[in-house]
Amino acid sequence: MAAILEVKDLHCSYGPIHALKGVSFHVDEGEVVTLVGSNGAGKTTTLRSLSGLLDNAHVTGEVLFMGQPIQKMKANKIASLGLCQCLEGRHIFPQLSVEENLMIGAFQRNDTAGIQEDLQKMFKRFPRLEERRKQAGGTLSGGEQQMLAIARALMSKPKMLMMDEPSLGLAPIIVAEIFEIVKDINRDGIPVLLVEQNCNMALKVSHRGYVLETGEITLEGTSDFLANNEEVRKSYLGG
Amino acid sequence: MFLKLLIGALMIGSVYGLIGLGYSTIYRASGLMNFSQGDLFMLGAFVGVTFYRYMGLPFILSFILTIIVMFIVGILLERLVIRNVLKKSTGYFIVLATISLSIFFKNLAMLIWGSTRIEFPSIFNIGNVRVGGIQVQPEQLMVIIVAWICMIILHFFMNKTKFGTAMRSAAQDPLAAKACGIDVTLTTGVTWGIAAAVASVGGMLYGPVYGVSISIGATMGQRAFSSAVVGGYGNMYGAITGGLLIAIIETFVAGYISSDLKDFIAFAVLMLFLFVKPTGLFNERALQD
Amino acid sequence: MKKKINKSTVATLILLVVIAISPVVVQSNYIYSVINFMLLYVIATSGLDLLFGYSGQISLGHAGFYAIGAYGSALMSLHWNLHPLITMLIAAIIATIVGVVLAYPASKLKYHFLSLCTIGFGEIIYQLIVNSPGDITSGFTGLYGIPAVTLFGFKLSKNISIFYMLLIFAIVFMFVKQRIVHSKVGRAFIAIRDNTAAANGMGIDVTRYRVMAFGISAFYTAFAGALYAHFIRFISPETFTQEALSVPLLTMVLFGGLGSLWGPVIGSVVVTLIKELLQATGTYQMIIYSGFIVIVLLFMPRGIMSFISGIAEKVKMKKEAKADVKN
Repeated sequence: MAAILEVKDLHCSYGPIHALKGVSFHVDEGEVVTLVGSNGAGKTTTLRSLSGLLDNAHVTGEVLFMGQPIQKMKANKIASLGLCQCLEGRHIFPQLSVEENLMIGAFQRNDTAGIQEDLQKMFKRFPRLEERRKQAGGTLSGGEQQMLAIARALMSKPKMLMMDEPSLGLAPIIVAEIFEIVKDINRDGIPVLLVEQNCNMALKVSHRGYVLETGEITLEGTSDFLANNEEVRKSYLGG
Repeated sequence: MFLKLLIGALMIGSVYGLIGLGYSTIYRASGLMNFSQGDLFMLGAFVGVTFYRYMGLPFILSFILTIIVMFIVGILLERLVIRNVLKKSTGYFIVLATISLSIFFKNLAMLIWGSTRIEFPSIFNIGNVRVGGIQVQPEQLMVIIVAWICMIILHFFMNKTKFGTAMRSAAQDPLAAKACGIDVTLTTGVTWGIAAAVASVGGMLYGPVYGVSISIGATMGQRAFSSAVVGGYGNMYGAITGGLLIAIIETFVAGYISSDLKDFIAFAVLMLFLFVKPTGLFNERALQD
Repeated sequence: MKKKINKSTVATLILLVVIAISPVVVQSNYIYSVINFMLLYVIATSGLDLLFGYSGQISLGHAGFYAIGAYGSALMSLHWNLHPLITMLIAAIIATIVGVVLAYPASKLKYHFLSLCTIGFGEIIYQLIVNSPGDITSGFTGLYGIPAVTLFGFKLSKNISIFYMLLIFAIVFMFVKQRIVHSKVGRAFIAIRDNTAAANGMGIDVTRYRVMAFGISAFYTAFAGALYAHFIRFISPETFTQEALSVPLLTMVLFGGLGSLWGPVIGSVVVTLIKELLQATGTYQMIIYSGFIVIVLLFMPRGIMSFISGIAEKVKMKKEAKADVKN
């Protein structure tokens, strides 16, 4: 299968700190790929540098999205190409209503009819959001905010979605729901690059995975392979 | 007497509100204070009088041209100075940079337009109008009406348009706004442009009533930031409310007690709010984290 | 035990000797008037630096303290016939009290709001001078005939004799500043400036030290103001506005470099010189001056000294790079 995202030798440093030391990986069409790693391994840095969100860091390397080099592009250009990210910690606009949050997700689109159609789709998929459409984003519960963050990302009609710790700080029942949503998104044909601390769940929904340790990829393989790997089990899956 | 003072207060309070709006939107969008806001108001008045009096353009056209010119000035201010100062240092330096710009604008205006007051030719060729039994200049009524129309337009722009919503989102969470594909440098620049344009509207309205001189920048600017603090710095609607409140206190104290106290009031109210209720009427954060 | 004499002490001593004997060589009254202003600003900005540079609190209202010093000392010496040195001290103490009272609520504010608050303070003091109760300050007319300082029967009314007095005061104030900076108090200021939360965690009473910084700073600046009154012997409100004084003081501190002993000296000397030289440009003076501040902020936000040392470092690195290539 053709790669939709290809990352070659990505380096990133903040002043003297070398956060990424030559990371290479790829995501194919239709895949869910997980980046596994502990705190500070560079997972968030990887995703943010792909989206062009790191202002104060020095990033080098080659990033191809649908064959197009995007490493030097500004964040809004990258988003307009369809590489979209759900940020860690949800980052809901607290004073915007649920509906406004969703409309901001569709900021790059101009097809009014299509946007309205997608808005209805989101409300159908996430009925809680429809109940609260006029409420300020900041008043939602953690789980609802995560749903809103995902729905907001989907409103942009992404060609590929990157999700940074979508299950962080959520109750187990909601975590399960989030991973169901990831599967759904992938079923609709959108490739997903997933960064998760909850490796168990993440490897269950993904096809392949990479292990990131202090800024370097140390292991890669199918999810089954990683889930059964001794090292991975010990370090990330709790034995 | 009461009605006359009230109309005066509403008029000047609306102008404070317009200038104060600029302080608040910039603070909201970038966490910075622009101490040259009052001078942008003054420049707006001078540019306006130039179009209207010296070039003989119709008032409406002068009004629109002034807004456009000052919008560009605001954008340039952010792009050339603010952004570059921020690259090298912190917000502290923005305080000094914008104060220096304020001195710069004031002296530039003195060089171009001189230090004597310039009168605005009257806009309506009719005499005073009667409101509730008192004589009012039509220009005074224009201040109130147009200022409020502007505020309402701004309200709709910020809340009901796509770009306005994007500006609000970028102000709340720039990182998330970028991830959603919003060009945050653009929205920030436009914020400064709008702040300057709105202040210039104030200038174009104030000029025909009081005339234009270089000293109006400092005095009105200080009243306006006091208004913004009173309303809750960063809150658009707070700035307008605060403006009206300060204008009412100021006008009535000057009218009934002593006009010597007039210049005190805005600062006294400012200090009172900073010390007792720094979050202002609309509860915005002003204390250290 | 023999103490090590370090280079900067020697340099300081030589500089002082040169300055002290220079009046024998240079006799221009005008030059001494300019130098006297520089010395006044050294005292005022050393105080502002303790506040802004060391404790991290901005003030755009130091003209207010300068005015309290000047008007306080002038009024007391005019009406009560006290010796100027005593009235200067009392005026500076009054300013300290005012500073402390202002600082209690003000030190809790974020820096933008502290800027607004200190602007408000400066304006209120200015308005008080212009419209004083009972018109004791005689409004815009100002106060005339302020007595000169007399010491041991000598009346210090010539610029050169005032120069010696100001020089001594400047040295004393700088010395005291250095002692404060290297004391527990100074370390508390720096800790609060660099990381308020951590300072708080270490048990430093943040509010107390912030207030203290304001008080000390007010004393310095007010004392400079009082010296100014007895040096020029005529004061009027337009000297004490934000634009004429508060902003230039801040510019001097910034230009010389924040948080150092010599920063305020360099800043005071250079900025005063620039303002003097710009006198010749007439109406363009303030435009050039304000443009100059913006340029300083754009290109050397850490002050002239670190700008120069930055260039020196770059030159050095280039030389080293060349040497590396050769090897």
